[in-house]
Amino acid sequence: MVEVVGDGLAYLTGQSGTSLVALFWFMLLFEVPRYALAFAAAAFFAPKTFVPPPRPAPIGRVSVIVAGHNEACCAENCARSLREQSLPPDEIVFVSDGSTDGMPALLRVLKRRGLVDQVHCTDLRGGKSAAINLAELRATGEVIVNVDCDCTFDRQALKTIVAPFGDPRIGAVCGNILVSNPTQGLIAAFQYIEYLISISLGKQAAQLVNQVVCVSGAFGAFRRSALKGVGGLDVGGGEDLDITLRLRNAGWDIHFAPDAICYTDVPPTMMEFSQQRLRWERDALRLRFRKHRDLMSPLSPRFNLIELVHQLEFIIFNIVAAAAFPFYLVWLVVMYGELAPMILLAAQTGLAVLDLATFALAAWATPKARSLPLLPYVLGYSVFNGLFMRFFRLAAYLQEWLFDASSTDSYIPGKVQLLRRW
Amino acid sequence: MLGTQPERSARGRRILIAEDSGVTQDLLKLLLSERGYAVDVAGDGESALSALRRNAYDVVLMDFHLPKMDGLQVAAAYRCGREEGGRQPRFIAITADMKGLLAHAGNCETFDRVVPKPFDINEICKVIDGDDGAQASHDEAPSAGGTVAPPPPAAEQAAGDAAAREPKAATPHRSGGAANGSRRIAAVVNGHTRLLSEIEALGLRVLRWPEDFSPAMSASGADRDAIVVSRRAGPRELVDIWQRPTLHLLPLIDLTGSLGSRGDVDASRLAYGEGDLITRTVQAFRDRRERLDRALLLTEELGEKLLGRMFVANRALTATYDPSQPGLVRYNTTLEDAAAMREAELLHESGFLRRDFLDRLHVCDRCGSSRFNVREECPDCHSSNLADESYLHHFKCAYQGVESDFRRGDLLICPKCRQELSHFSVDYDKPGIMVKCRACGHAASEPEAGFICLDCGAHYLADVIQTRDVYSYALTDRALAYLETGRALLGHRQRALRFAELPLELIVALNAALRRHDETGAPFALLDISYHNERDIEAEHGRRQFNQTRELFLETLRGVLRKEDKVVKGQRYDFALLSDVAPPEARGSVEAIKQEATATLRLDLGVAIDVFGPEDFS
Repeated sequence: MVEVVGDGLAYLTGQSGTSLVALFWFMLLFEVPRYALAFAAAAFFAPKTFVPPPRPAPIGRVSVIVAGHNEACCAENCARSLREQSLPPDEIVFVSDGSTDGMPALLRVLKRRGLVDQVHCTDLRGGKSAAINLAELRATGEVIVNVDCDCTFDRQALKTIVAPFGDPRIGAVCGNILVSNPTQGLIAAFQYIEYLISISLGKQAAQLVNQVVCVSGAFGAFRRSALKGVGGLDVGGGEDLDITLRLRNAGWDIHFAPDAICYTDVPPTMMEFSQQRLRWERDALRLRFRKHRDLMSPLSPRFNLIELVHQLEFIIFNIVAAAAFPFYLVWLVVMYGELAPMILLAAQTGLAVLDLATFALAAWATPKARSLPLLPYVLGYSVFNGLFMRFFRLAAYLQEWLFDASSTDSYIPGKVQLLRRW
Repeated sequence: MLGTQPERSARGRRILIAEDSGVTQDLLKLLLSERGYAVDVAGDGESALSALRRNAYDVVLMDFHLPKMDGLQVAAAYRCGREEGGRQPRFIAITADMKGLLAHAGNCETFDRVVPKPFDINEICKVIDGDDGAQASHDEAPSAGGTVAPPPPAAEQAAGDAAAREPKAATPHRSGGAANGSRRIAAVVNGHTRLLSEIEALGLRVLRWPEDFSPAMSASGADRDAIVVSRRAGPRELVDIWQRPTLHLLPLIDLTGSLGSRGDVDASRLAYGEGDLITRTVQAFRDRRERLDRALLLTEELGEKLLGRMFVANRALTATYDPSQPGLVRYNTTLEDAAAMREAELLHESGFLRRDFLDRLHVCDRCGSSRFNVREECPDCHSSNLADESYLHHFKCAYQGVESDFRRGDLLICPKCRQELSHFSVDYDKPGIMVKCRACGHAASEPEAGFICLDCGAHYLADVIQTRDVYSYALTDRALAYLETGRALLGHRQRALRFAELPLELIVALNAALRRHDETGAPFALLDISYHNERDIEAEHGRRQFNQTRELFLETLRGVLRKEDKVVKGQRYDFALLSDVAPPEARGSVEAIKQEATATLRLDLGVAIDVFGPEDFS
């Protein structure tokens, strides 16, 4: 074993620059560019202490809408957290989507206590999109902030997320989502790191190049006229990605507000995590390459170079990378035999260093999040993300591509699935 | 006999005393002059009348029985000869013969106030100064013939004894027809006259409300059989019944039908000639009054009065719905409902009443009413102007809104994707009902329940409104025992002699025996006779049977005992006083006496005899 490691190190240190590129082509192709973008973002945004933005041009009434199914556990906490905002919402609209757990009764109590302003309860579950559409129709504000029931918010979050609407070109603003339960296990800790890197830092980077393509369903704000213009949400899942793509297509600018911080609970077990992720990846594939495939067709009136960029980015860094990785592994073994694990280890070490640097950057760019205690977990995350998640994504894409798996997701009710077009 | 003191006194009141007794004359004159009144005195009716015609008096104190003309005649003759509206003196009757005066209501109306003899000078001064409330009530009473309507001329001659003997002819309601108010009331009252005469024909001694309930009267129920209510009344009007001793134990005969279940006999619904219901009720009340412990009979305590009433009327205190009451229920008593409920709850707590749940009522915090309109209302503005609309969910495009958004004639068209919704449960469904407020536009999936107080308009939500429980109450065995045994029951059970319970006749005899014992040492024995089977006999054979058997027993006992022994009938217990017999000796022969005296009785009274001697009275 020691011999193998020694041989490996000797081999690696003996390589020229060109041969190293030949050896690590996969990483150089699929990983390094992403980090480059992240570093660019970090370089662009100097680290800053939080400055509450002055309230810009009048943006009108702000309605917060919350739709949930069987969320009696967290509805009150969510409402209180919203009432604590430095900019209190003009209206809070709750929709209980066919809940059977006492959520309607709880909402009526909240209504009576004045914690919420409108309560709508349906007896039959219609799915998240339908519930949000109902809330959006009943809401009276010019800006509609859509939040998840299990989220809590920084006091300045609402003020920060609505501020960009002072610019009339902006149709939607995405909030910054952090994980509230990183101590609940390794999976939760990894997700914390992932959210911090991919959302807090990733979306700041994406914003640089006008590539914010998903206003998270957990915390996003919409201009009412924009939302109305595109007809509200379509049938889910992945309705947040879908609505953002349609808003972008309708000519609205999408903004990311890094200081509009919202905390959400992530699934702490492997089982729940994998179900959620499989669903997300499947929905992404379905939306991007079935429903919105014309975004890439030069013949389509919807064709747009900007949109092509994020579609290609997804194809290259998600799909191709996931698909190519097994081939890379096989190629390594065939070409280098015993040396393959050593090479892989070396590559992973390199990636871990990059991940550490990125995480540090992300933590630096998001000073409100107390991220440093999680630094040791970054090494584990690096392996988890670099090896495990790649296979995971591949499985999801195959499921969707071959079996149209998203059409039987229990995330939306059966009655809706039957009629869903995409 | 006419004294003259024409000057007006500092008090500014001039008084005429019409009184035939010289002692009373002097006394009144002295006392009133001392207090600064100007006082004239007349010794008989005629001189009183002439003095009245000569001088202007503020007050006339008139004995009812006067030589030559009685007080009634004087007042009537004087009023007849005067114009209405002029300054009139107030006529105050002073009499020992309350019964004679009250023999007819007209008499009460003739006099502004009646003061019983022996009088209290302070009371008379109060009456003279008019600060006893009589003046006000007198002026308000439209039927008071004394002030409003002079009697018709014919009545002048017929006044007096004839009028007193023929009560109908002189009812104020008939003679006082001049004033409009009087005429209206007279019409109502005349409707009751037939019933009234029928009741009087039964030979009952009735107290009439409101005629006999002047503030001056000191009526008690002791010598009466029933109260007849001849004008619409409720608990507030009949409050006197609960404030004067024993009146609450009389049956209420309601001529108006307005008392409903609060009265005992609704005479307005009796068929002609069905007076025997009245007789039976009166008799039943009388029988049960006899069984009531004497101390409780005369009690001043409201709770005990209520118990006594329930016992004598032999009725539970029952609550029934009555929308005309703010409290929404009424009890079958003339006591005000709130008071009845309060007292009944206290009695329930102390184990005298058993309660049965009737209902839980909502109560207005502000006014205490239980009359509410309960309705669904808007959670925002509390308006009840609501309309229901269905939510509608179009599956295909996830649009979810109210049904009216989709309505296009008889088609349902999705406002978002413009597709027709053609198949329920395949294209769309209705996941719930939305309630829309027409007043403020607020929409919610469920309205609130709101309560509006019909009496004061206060508004309450379902979860904050107060409630109260309403019960009916019945006497417990403990209460029955208490009512028949008296307060002794609550303290020590053992039998003790109580002077309050002894008949007067016995007290006199006991006094004599005790004196003789002190002087000569002659012993005596007092036998205290109680009847353990009283309730059983009554339940099985009736009260009358028991009374008869008891009488028979006492008769026999008198025969068994010696001539010098005294047998005295008491309220609940009877007594025999044996002179020159020492208690131990008497105890030895008690059994023999008892056996001999009960030998001829058909029913077993359960006679028990306790023996007391001189030492028990030291």
